[in-house]
Amino acid sequence: MDLSPFDTDNSVSCRLASQIPDVCRTEDCCLGIDEAGRGPVLGPMVYGICFCPVSKKQELKESKVADSKTLTEAERENLFRALDEARSYIGWALQILSPNTISTSMLQRTKYNLNALSHDTAIGLVQYALDSGVQLKEVFVDTVGPAEKYEEKLSKLFPGIEVTVRPKADSLFPVVSAASICAKVARDRIVKGWKFAEDLEDVDADYGSGYPSDPKTKAWLLKYLDPVFGYPQFVRFSWSTAQTLMDSKGVTVHWDDEDEDGEKAAQRQNNKSMLAYFSASAGGNEQNPTRQTHRFFSERRLKSLDTL
Amino acid sequence: MATKKKRTPTVQHGSWVAIAADSTIDTQNHDSDPAFVRLRNPSTDAASLYMLSSGDVQLFEVKAFEEDFHSWFVGQTVQRDGRLLFVTPMDPLYLIMPYLIKYGKEEKFQPVDQVVMDEEFPACSRLLSCTRSLASLHHIAEEKAVGQQTFYRYSPEKTMNWLKKKVERTVGVLKARSVSVGGGVKSTTYIRVKSESGDEDYRRYAHGLISEYVSEDLSKELLKHLQLPELASPKETEPPSKKRKLSDKPVEAEEDYTKFNSADFTRKPPKKMTAAQKSLAKGDKTGMKTMSSFFSGQAQRLEGALHHFGQMDRVPLQPQSAARGPTLVLLLLLRGCGRRPLLLGVVRGTRNPQHPVGVEVVIGRAGGH
Amino acid sequence: MSCNTRVTRVQVSSVGEAQRVPVHLMPCEIEHNGPAQVSKYLTATTKDCKLEKAVSFRGRGLKGQEISCPQGYTGLVLKEINKSSSDQEDRTLRVSSVFDKLTYWNLETPPNSDDSIVMAMDWPELAEAIHGPVED
Repeated sequence: MDLSPFDTDNSVSCRLASQIPDVCRTEDCCLGIDEAGRGPVLGPMVYGICFCPVSKKQELKESKVADSKTLTEAERENLFRALDEARSYIGWALQILSPNTISTSMLQRTKYNLNALSHDTAIGLVQYALDSGVQLKEVFVDTVGPAEKYEEKLSKLFPGIEVTVRPKADSLFPVVSAASICAKVARDRIVKGWKFAEDLEDVDADYGSGYPSDPKTKAWLLKYLDPVFGYPQFVRFSWSTAQTLMDSKGVTVHWDDEDEDGEKAAQRQNNKSMLAYFSASAGGNEQNPTRQTHRFFSERRLKSLDTL
Repeated sequence: MATKKKRTPTVQHGSWVAIAADSTIDTQNHDSDPAFVRLRNPSTDAASLYMLSSGDVQLFEVKAFEEDFHSWFVGQTVQRDGRLLFVTPMDPLYLIMPYLIKYGKEEKFQPVDQVVMDEEFPACSRLLSCTRSLASLHHIAEEKAVGQQTFYRYSPEKTMNWLKKKVERTVGVLKARSVSVGGGVKSTTYIRVKSESGDEDYRRYAHGLISEYVSEDLSKELLKHLQLPELASPKETEPPSKKRKLSDKPVEAEEDYTKFNSADFTRKPPKKMTAAQKSLAKGDKTGMKTMSSFFSGQAQRLEGALHHFGQMDRVPLQPQSAARGPTLVLLLLLRGCGRRPLLLGVVRGTRNPQHPVGVEVVIGRAGGH
Repeated sequence: MSCNTRVTRVQVSSVGEAQRVPVHLMPCEIEHNGPAQVSKYLTATTKDCKLEKAVSFRGRGLKGQEISCPQGYTGLVLKEINKSSSDQEDRTLRVSSVFDKLTYWNLETPPNSDDSIVMAMDWPELAEAIHGPVED
């Protein structure tokens, strides 16, 4: 697994993939989807797909990829090596969602929540497999949300493919376990070797599991809190753990889209509400009965001062 | 997510970011430092902030660019106050004039230093030290020299001619910089509605700018002098089409609205017309006039609304025009009201000779969860 | 109205010692005045794309661009020295830093010519038209 494409810019989303095995282009295939690193406040979330011909399901099962969540890191590395050795009939692809992508998406003006982001990423990976010529017939998906709705959504998007969405699918279907291993191995490696884009000296790499509940993670978050900037891009700013720490120990920052809705903001700024423009007095002078500033200035947000 | 903190009131911290004319910091032969002073603003009659250069030889105006929710990073520091001050050279005559007018009613010639005095704003006498002041007083006053001393009397006629020249100068720069002076929808990044501004639009706009520096009475007189009819107060209810005299040419979309996805087009609006637009430009425009006047009135209001709600976002749009066959689609999208985009209006017109005008206005929300 | 008599001097001689610094106009209100590790966090992570710059601040995506001060103008950062508590005493400012270009950032929106800060840069030229000497 060559992570260098992501390492060169770990602020964006990045896709890594194996070679597509020739046999996957000719034979009916099954595909598993799983994710790694949904909960942690640190590091990327990695989406993985793994696929192989339906006829090779048994061989996959025999490679003991099942129950990936119970494996140790070393066991996962070994299994990933095994998957890599089976590259003549097993293929995989990963979508790495950088913590910065997660933060900026979830905190976007038009909110893009983690579920929508996850679904879109999974869909993107299935589409990638299809576009690469993989003869998909069965897709197995692990989910944390309601399975039925998601299954329906995917079935509609990919007609002709039998979609099965199940909670804990990684322990039920070996192809999902395989996807889970790929995703988890990538996430572990990325977190371990995280290259900080910020100009920080010797960042302590002892950040624990990255889960907010981990004392090591908590200690790290306290240590690396910058009062103005908050955190390096390694941290998911959209996580309440990070928000709470910044609120209590950092400088308060206000954005124009927070809390109050547009109408209220307009009032506070002594602006006219939008609806006022459609009323009869549109463009009228609502403030002072004296003179109104010329629109050259108001359009440019320029005003006179009476004191410095 | 954690509860948002209330904004605390701003306290002036003693730090400002400014863009100032180089002459403000001219270090040559200064015997004193430049200083910010408060003087009587001729337009409001209240105090405004100005700057006098070293030795009071030059006057500057101070304006603040201020948008809510802004702060500065300056070097390796943060400054909460996000204003940007502009310090620009100012004609001292605008500030001297009100004093001359006040005393001009006595019809007497007077020494100017006895006229430009203000208990409330003692710094005003320093205006007479500005190099340009005495040298240009003849633009607004008659002069009489008696011995070594010169006496002045305010002249309304001279002042009008002087202000007219100011307006003309300003028109020139407005045109050269292609400042949008008409009522077209300028703010939207999707479609620029071209309303060709006539000379009158420019002169009226320039008059408005000059009026920022003179009393309301003088502003009205200047309007007459420029032979510009006074506009009805916008408060009066009038059909939008009559509110403002606009060019009676049809409003045309300057952009090819089938290319909404082009990332560059907001930067450099292509000047070329599409084939469809060309044929529209050449074609039958009866019926279009009604529509254009509808557009222009509406556009002005929308522009105002857009102006306050600020930022547009580029959203890929599928033009519906091809399917429906209208020739003109005006789409306005609003952002910045909370977190969701707001589709403000879709106005469509058809050019079918049987049904020359079909306009549809949709106001509603689009997208977002 | 005693405060009208108060003047605020700008020590011109301080310009010589003032450092040229990068300045960024941020699309948010940061309730703080003081040190900030701008180059370590902001500059180091800024991406220069063809027509715009991109960075994130506090987990929010920003897009921005660099604009120059209008011709004949200099950017000045003024700081008050010996801040007096009285509102009648004269005040003194010094030029603590200078700049000839600034980077402004929008929240998510790509920079464009209709951004108000870009439009505000029209002002000096218009001011010259309004205030420049009129010929006889």
